[in-house]
Amino acid sequence: MVKKFSFMLLVILIVILASCSDKPTPETNAESNEDQLTLAIGGEPDDGFDPTTGWGRYGSPLFQSTLLTQDSEMEMTYDLATDYHVSEDGLTWTLTLREDVQFSDGEPLTATDVKFTYEKAKQAQSIVDLANQERVETEGDYQVTFHLSQPQSTFVYTLQRLGIVPEHAYDENYAENPVGSGPYQLVEWRKGEQLIVEKNPHYYGNEFEFEQLTFLFAGEDQAIAAAKAGQVDVLSVPITMADQEIKGMKQISLQSVDNRGVMLPYPEPTTNEEGEQVGNDVTSDPAIRKALNYAVDREAIVDGVLNGEGTVAYSSADGLPWGNSDTTIEDADQERAEQILTDAGWQRGEDDFFEKDGQKASITLYYPSGDQMRQSLSLVFADMINQFGMEVTTEGVSWSEMEREMHANPVMMGWGSHDPIEIYSLYHSSMQGIDYYNANYYHNEQVDHYLDQAIHARTEDEAYEYWKLAQWDGETGINTLGDAPWVWLVNLNHIYYINETIEIGDQKVQPHGHGWPITDFITEWQVVE
Amino acid sequence: MKKNMLIPLFLFLVFYLLSFVINDTIRLDLIGKNQAPSLSHLFGTDWLGRDMLLRTLKGIQLSITLGIVTALLSTCLGLLLSLLATFNPLFDKLVAWLIDLFLSLPHLVTLILISFVLGGGFKGVVIGLMLTHWPAITRVLRAELLQLQTMPYVQISKQLGKGFWWRARHHFLPHLFPQLMVGFTLIFPHAILHEASITFLGFGLSAEQPAIGIILSESMQYLSSGMWWLAFFPGLTLLMMIILFQCFAKAFKHYLERDRSYGHYFNG
Repeated sequence: MVKKFSFMLLVILIVILASCSDKPTPETNAESNEDQLTLAIGGEPDDGFDPTTGWGRYGSPLFQSTLLTQDSEMEMTYDLATDYHVSEDGLTWTLTLREDVQFSDGEPLTATDVKFTYEKAKQAQSIVDLANQERVETEGDYQVTFHLSQPQSTFVYTLQRLGIVPEHAYDENYAENPVGSGPYQLVEWRKGEQLIVEKNPHYYGNEFEFEQLTFLFAGEDQAIAAAKAGQVDVLSVPITMADQEIKGMKQISLQSVDNRGVMLPYPEPTTNEEGEQVGNDVTSDPAIRKALNYAVDREAIVDGVLNGEGTVAYSSADGLPWGNSDTTIEDADQERAEQILTDAGWQRGEDDFFEKDGQKASITLYYPSGDQMRQSLSLVFADMINQFGMEVTTEGVSWSEMEREMHANPVMMGWGSHDPIEIYSLYHSSMQGIDYYNANYYHNEQVDHYLDQAIHARTEDEAYEYWKLAQWDGETGINTLGDAPWVWLVNLNHIYYINETIEIGDQKVQPHGHGWPITDFITEWQVVE
Repeated sequence: MKKNMLIPLFLFLVFYLLSFVINDTIRLDLIGKNQAPSLSHLFGTDWLGRDMLLRTLKGIQLSITLGIVTALLSTCLGLLLSLLATFNPLFDKLVAWLIDLFLSLPHLVTLILISFVLGGGFKGVVIGLMLTHWPAITRVLRAELLQLQTMPYVQISKQLGKGFWWRARHHFLPHLFPQLMVGFTLIFPHAILHEASITFLGFGLSAEQPAIGIILSESMQYLSSGMWWLAFFPGLTLLMMIILFQCFAKAFKHYLERDRSYGHYFNG
């Protein structure tokens, strides 16, 4: 027995000593080869690099280029197109293309390729929604006309995101062997390991710095270890690991609309056509939804859970041109929350939780168990609301289980897109129960009306007006002052470590998805001494 | 001998009962998060400011409860199957074949398979552990029973017309009792460690439950940022508990196996 214990002690001692020793300091940093970059930003695309099935909707498509694009101020600029024109009725969009564009195999890019791409994308019925596109016509080699069945202001965002594929080189293997007119062409893709790309010699845009890029698809720990050994130039890290010092690298923290919030079931309990449970006894009361919004202390969550690397969120589009700044409320106001509930007839019961007609203010909050950030947010949210006087139990489940629960129970969700159509998807009654969109079955006639008008607006500015009205028009709306179908909590900052010698310039407010969006302006990255 | 047995058992029970004193919800404290072990937080705090000592004790409680349940179930299953084996030669062959089958498969793989098929969670883990831990004890019991069957007094009972269940209750069970106890105490730590490992691998208990395996797998993400106490103390505590129980089990085994025939000399 004594022998065994002494052996145990030895083992413990070794472990303690090992944990005390300093981490090895890397000898060198930065690549020896100046015009090559190694990026460990995760997010290997499972479906490959085919824009018609969704590749490139965040960040740049890299291998392909788009008709229009956005600058760092989120203003629209031209890319493949040199000019675009929308008809009076908003149904016909005419674009003129540049004439000097070649694919990486040397073939010229013409209007037929554009037509092919958009028809292919519509056919694929994937994440790129082109249901409204009636037909595409070409006129000569460099003019293309889109005919829509209804006016659609958000079509301009599709033009900014859908990379053009070559008709002559498109086959079923395209996703693995992309050919396009973008700044880079594929050299090698070893699935699960790395992606190597090199400069496209036929690229029509400005000269840019880096000849070759290597994307590593390693786990977080491996990526950080590689960065510490000086083998990585651009590294994305989750917020929980943002407190590291990596020699030779600087940390940048980009603001985002990558938001997280609690989606609250809107209607009274019922069942939908598929027989699924929809709605919730407690959260169908607007007073409960508002009280939750007022009782929660968002600032404390940003400081506590995100270590300050984030911003408070009051809507799904904070800081975007179509976000309504009236949505801001004074939160962490438990007195006000209490007032709202008391006015609506809720009373504190014996256990200090609110009750009304025998119904206890008690909800179960579901979150995906694999996502530690959502877990932390859920636990903290539950803790805050429990203290205030509503019973919140949390439950971590798989995504498929969450899909079953999300219509009838609050869930921790996240969105954040550069396309305002997301607001339509989240709140329009026609999107009820479609995928994860409007999964809480929100419905408000007036909001539907504004959203329809926003979609069918002719100009972008007009559309912005309606997007904002849908959020709050002074009387009703999606936001906290109105129906409050969500408790938006935070926008997560995206944290990157970048080689000190590289300057990446201004970035847009980052969308959902941490990793690829940083490649958005990769052609403008520079080496500085 | 008695001291060897009772001290570990006492310590073990103290730890176990201590965990029941703790309130069900462990408070979050965002200001005091990520603290290294100190006097106010002996095991440190995690990334949400929860006290790791409390979480560990909660985890230990769950693990032990689960261990007791599965050890009990496995032992019962073993007993049942070994009795079945004595019933008739065909059953005996079947049981022997089942034992060989389960022993030839790697433990953890079978466990993951069963638990995964049953959808994980407490139920999945318990059933998985039960179905993987019975063969060893069943083999011992079966051998013991084969020997018992040939004993003259059992044969005489049989000739006198006593039924199978009568013999099982009056002859087999009293004889098997020490084996059962030892089997139970030996399966118990095994089951706990296996529960922790499959939970750590993500096939076991759900992230909601305060199990040691969950604590360990969560803390993996923070190890590289230097928060070693998140994994170290819970792991060490689990190990200590297992060793304590193992000590008890060993002493208990010795105690039961002592030669009773000389007992009255010592007791006077």
